Amino acid sequence: MPDGVRRFFRLRLRRRDLIHEAMDEELQFHLDERTAQLAAQGLSPTDAQAEAIRRLGGSVADVRNQLRRSAERKERTMAWHEHFEDLVADLRYAARGLIRRPAFTTVAVLTLAAGIGGNTAIFSAVDALLFRPLPFAAPDRLMDVYLVPSSADGTPGVTQWSWPKYQVLLRDQTVFSDIALHFDANFNLGQTNAERINGEFVSSRYLTVLGVAPIQGADFSATLDNGPNAPRTLLMGNALWQRRFGADPGLVGRTIELNGQQWVVQGILPPGFRGLSGTAEVLVPATTVDEETYREAWSLMYSAIGRLRPGVTPEEAEAQMRILGPRIYEAYPFTANMLSTTEGKGWTAGATSLDARRVAPEVRRSLLVLFGAVGFVLLIACVNLANFLLGRAATRRREIAIRLAIGSSRGRLVRLLLTESLLLASLGGAASLLVAAWSIAVLRAMNPLATLQSQGLGGLGVIGFTSLHLDIHALLFTFGVTLFVGLLFGLVPALQATRADLVPGLKDGAVPARLGGMRLGVGRGALVMAEVALAVVLLAGSGLMLRSLMKRIGVDPGFDDRSVLTLRLATGEALGRDSIPGFVTELQSRLAALPGVTSVGLADCPPLNGGCNGTIISFPDREATAVKGLSTPIGVHTVTPEWFATLHIPLLRGRLLTPADRIGTSKVILISESAAQKYWPNEDPLGKRAGIWQGGFQEGATVVGIVGDVRYGTIDSLPVPDSYMSFYQAPRGRMMIFLRTAGDPLAVAAAARRELAAFAPSYPVYDVQTMTSRVAGATAQARFSATLLGLFAAVALALAVMGIYGVMSFAVLQRQRELGIRMALGADGRDVRRLILVEGMGMALVGGVIGLGAAFALTRVLNSLLFEVAPSDPLTYAAIVLVLGLAAFLATWLPARRASLVDPVEALRRDG
Amino acid sequence: MAAPLSLIKGTLDVLVLKALSWGPKHGFEVTTWLEERSTGDLTVDDGALYQALHRMEERDLIRAEWGVTANNRRARYYSMTPAGRAHLRSESAALVRYAETVVAILASRTA
Repeated sequence: MPDGVRRFFRLRLRRRDLIHEAMDEELQFHLDERTAQLAAQGLSPTDAQAEAIRRLGGSVADVRNQLRRSAERKERTMAWHEHFEDLVADLRYAARGLIRRPAFTTVAVLTLAAGIGGNTAIFSAVDALLFRPLPFAAPDRLMDVYLVPSSADGTPGVTQWSWPKYQVLLRDQTVFSDIALHFDANFNLGQTNAERINGEFVSSRYLTVLGVAPIQGADFSATLDNGPNAPRTLLMGNALWQRRFGADPGLVGRTIELNGQQWVVQGILPPGFRGLSGTAEVLVPATTVDEETYREAWSLMYSAIGRLRPGVTPEEAEAQMRILGPRIYEAYPFTANMLSTTEGKGWTAGATSLDARRVAPEVRRSLLVLFGAVGFVLLIACVNLANFLLGRAATRRREIAIRLAIGSSRGRLVRLLLTESLLLASLGGAASLLVAAWSIAVLRAMNPLATLQSQGLGGLGVIGFTSLHLDIHALLFTFGVTLFVGLLFGLVPALQATRADLVPGLKDGAVPARLGGMRLGVGRGALVMAEVALAVVLLAGSGLMLRSLMKRIGVDPGFDDRSVLTLRLATGEALGRDSIPGFVTELQSRLAALPGVTSVGLADCPPLNGGCNGTIISFPDREATAVKGLSTPIGVHTVTPEWFATLHIPLLRGRLLTPADRIGTSKVILISESAAQKYWPNEDPLGKRAGIWQGGFQEGATVVGIVGDVRYGTIDSLPVPDSYMSFYQAPRGRMMIFLRTAGDPLAVAAAARRELAAFAPSYPVYDVQTMTSRVAGATAQARFSATLLGLFAAVALALAVMGIYGVMSFAVLQRQRELGIRMALGADGRDVRRLILVEGMGMALVGGVIGLGAAFALTRVLNSLLFEVAPSDPLTYAAIVLVLGLAAFLATWLPARRASLVDPVEALRRDG
Repeated sequence: MAAPLSLIKGTLDVLVLKALSWGPKHGFEVTTWLEERSTGDLTVDDGALYQALHRMEERDLIRAEWGVTANNRRARYYSMTPAGRAHLRSESAALVRYAETVVAILASRTA
C-alpha cells in the first residue's frame, strides 16, 4: 500500500481513538468528582458511587457509548468547518497570488480559453454534422438506394431513379420494409405577395419510411402512387404553417395556391421536420405529374430512401441491390437510337447507409482535420500551462521553504499550491465558455445552405447544421482534461518543492543544483520542444491549406465575375412554353433600360452552382460504336444570345446564338472548348450535327460555335463538356438573370426588383447576389477550413513562443550568479547573449526538426483536401522554417539581452 | 417537596450558557452550578448534560480546552464564545417573555 494511503488511514484511526480517550477521561473525572461530592455529604463510598452512576441517567457503558458517539459527531462537524475555512483562506491566498501577477494570469487564462473553447466549438460542429443520429426514427436502419450507371473508364457514379424504374425496384426487392422517393423542388406560394418556398415531391410512404407522422390531418394515402395526375394535395411544414397561416387549426382541408394552381392542405408536419432536403416547407405527391413524365423511364430525378426490414443487414441490402440492378436496367433498356445497346449492360444499383452519406467525404475529412488540429491546440495549451506552473513553483521555492520552516504542514502546503492551479483552471474554464459560445454563434450565423450547397451537398448536412448547438458534454470533457493537467502539473512541483531541504532553500535565493533545479530545467525544456513540434505540425497543415486556397482563388472560372448582379426569377409552370420567348425578350429590354445596367443575359443555371443539368450527346452522322455509350455526358444550358457578352465568355470560333435562332428555324447549339476537344478530337465541330438528349434536340442540332469553358460544378473541378441552346429555340422555365453594371452591382438591385415586380408581379425574385459573392461562396468551405487552421496555427505558434520566452527568461533569472561570474572573469555582453541565444534556438531547433518530421507524415491526411499543392510542398515548409526561426529568435533575444545587462557585482552580491 | 421539573426543550442550553457567563467551568462544575441555583428542583441527567455540551460546541456556542483543576487533575474546561454570548442574550429574553406570558394567563381572575 502506498505510504500516503496508509498514513491517511492511520491518521483517521488515531484521531478516533484520541476522541474516545478524551471522552472517557472526561467522564471518569466527572464520576470521580460526583462520588467525592456525595461522600462529602455523608454517603458511604459504595452508596456514593451507585448514586453517581444513577445520576448519569443510565449504565456507565451506555452513557459512555452515547457520549463517544456524540463527541465523534461533534469533531466531524468541526473538522468540516475547519476544512472549509482553510479552503476559503487558500482560495483567498491563491486569488491574491494570481492578481499580483496579472500578466501570468492573463496569459494562462487566455491559453486555456483558446484550448477548451476552440475544442468545444469544433467538437460541437463535428458532432452535429457527423456523429449525432439523424432526427428520424431508427436512423441507422435507413439506406440511400441509387442506380449505378455503367462507366467506360470505371469511375464509380451514382444516379437517381425514374418512376418506372422505381416500380421495378419496389416489385422485386425483399430487403426493405418500406421505400420512398423524394425530389427537391421550389414552389411559388400564393398569388399576391408570392413567396418562393422549398419543397419535395415524394411518394406516399415517405413519412412512414422516416418514422414521422403529421401532427394534424392525415398522411398521403397509398393510392396516390397508383398513377399520374394524382389529386393536388400537400403536407405543410410546421414553420410555414406558423409563419404564413398563424398556426390556423382550421387550415387542414382548405385550399392554398402553389405555382398558380389550387392545392388542398391535407396535413401539418411536426415542428423541426423539413424532409431529407433539410429545407422543405411543403411535401407534395410525386404523382401529381402528367402521364408523359410519369412514364418516362430515363428521366432519372428521384432519390430513393429505404428502411431495412428487421433482421436484414446493410450489407445484405447492398448485395441484393447489385443483383437487382441489371434487372432494373433490362426492364427499361436504352432504345435502339440511344447509342450502342451493349453499353447498358454495366448498369446496376446500390445502397449506402444514410449516415455515411450525410456529408461529402471532403467535408467529413476537413472537419476531422480541424478536430485534430484543435486537439493539438489544446495539447499545446496544456503543455504551456504545465510550463507556467512548473516555472511558478520553481520561483516559489524560497517562499515554500519559509512556510515549512515556520511549521506549515506539507499537506497544507500542497493543498495551497493545488488550489492555485485549480483556481486558474476554473478561470480558464469560465473564459472558455465564452469563447465556445461565441465560436458557435459564428458557426451558426454562417449560411449553411450557401456553404454546403455550393459544394453540391444534399440536405443531410443542412439538417446537421441546423442542430448545431453548444455541446455541454464536450465542454465538460475538455474542461476535465484541463483540470487534470492543472492538478497534475500543480501537484508534481508542489510535492517536489515541499520535499526540498529547508536549509538551502532558505539560504539561497537562487536554486542550487542539488534542489533538482536541473531536473526541472530539463523537464521544461522538453515541454517547450514538444510545444514547438506541435506548432510546426499545425503550421504545416495550415500553410498547405492556405496555399491551396490561394490556388483555388486563382482559378479562372471561365467568366468575369466583376460588376455582375444575379437574380433568380421563379416563373414556375405558369409561364407556358410558347410564351417564354416573348417574355424573355420583353424582360431583357426592360432591364437593359435601367440606369447603370450595361448588358443583360439569361441562363437556366449559374456557373459554380455545384453542377447543372446534363444529359448525353449522340452523333447522328456517325456509327453508333464510334463513341462509347454513357461516357458521352454533356451539360445542357439554356441561355439568351446576350448572356455570353454579359459574362465576358469568349467566342472561340464560329458564331454566337442570335435572336433569329428560334422555334421553327433549324436547331443550333454552341459547345464548350472541352466538348470540342472531347467529342471532335480530330475534326472541326463547326457545322457538324449533335444529338442532345433534352429539349427536343435528340434528333440532332448543328454546332455553330465554340465558346470558352466555364466551371459549373465546384471551383476545383475541371470544366466538363457543355452545350448551349437558346431560350428562343428551346424554351425553359428556369431563369436566372445576369446584369452587367457600370458601377456597384448591388446598387441596381432595388431598381431591378421594382422593374420585375411591375413587369411580372406573380413571379417571386430571390437569390439576389453579385457574381463575385457566388464565386466567394464556391470557395467558402476551403476558405473556412484554411481560416480556422490558420487561426489554430497562429495560436499554437504564439503559445510556443510564449513557452520559449518563459523558459529562457526564467533560466536567465536563475543563472544570474553564473552569468555574473562569467562576466567577472572577462566574458562580455556578446558572449553571454550568444550563450543564451544558442540555448534557446537549440530548443526551437530540436522541436522544429521533430515537428517537421511529424508534419511530413501527418499532412498526408490532407491530400484529398489540397488543390494543386502536394503535402510535401517545399515552399510551405521553407516558409515554416523561416517563421519558426524568426519567432524563436525573438522569444530568445529579449531574455538574452537582459542576460547581457547583468551587473556582475550586483549579481554576485545578491547571492552572498 | 414537589416532583422535580423536567426542562422545556432548548432551556438547558441557555442555563449552561448562563453558568459559563461567569467564567470557564468544567462539566461537573456546570452541573453543581445548576443544582445549587435550582435548589434541586431541576433534574438533568449528567449524561444528557455532556451531550448538550457537545451539541453546543458543535454549534460554536462554547469552546472546550484541557486545563488543570485546583486538585491538579486534568479536566476539560468550557468557555463561552461570542456567538454563545449572543445566543444567551436573545434566548434568555425570549424565555423570560414566555414565562411572564404564561404566568399572566394563569394568574388572571377574569373569565
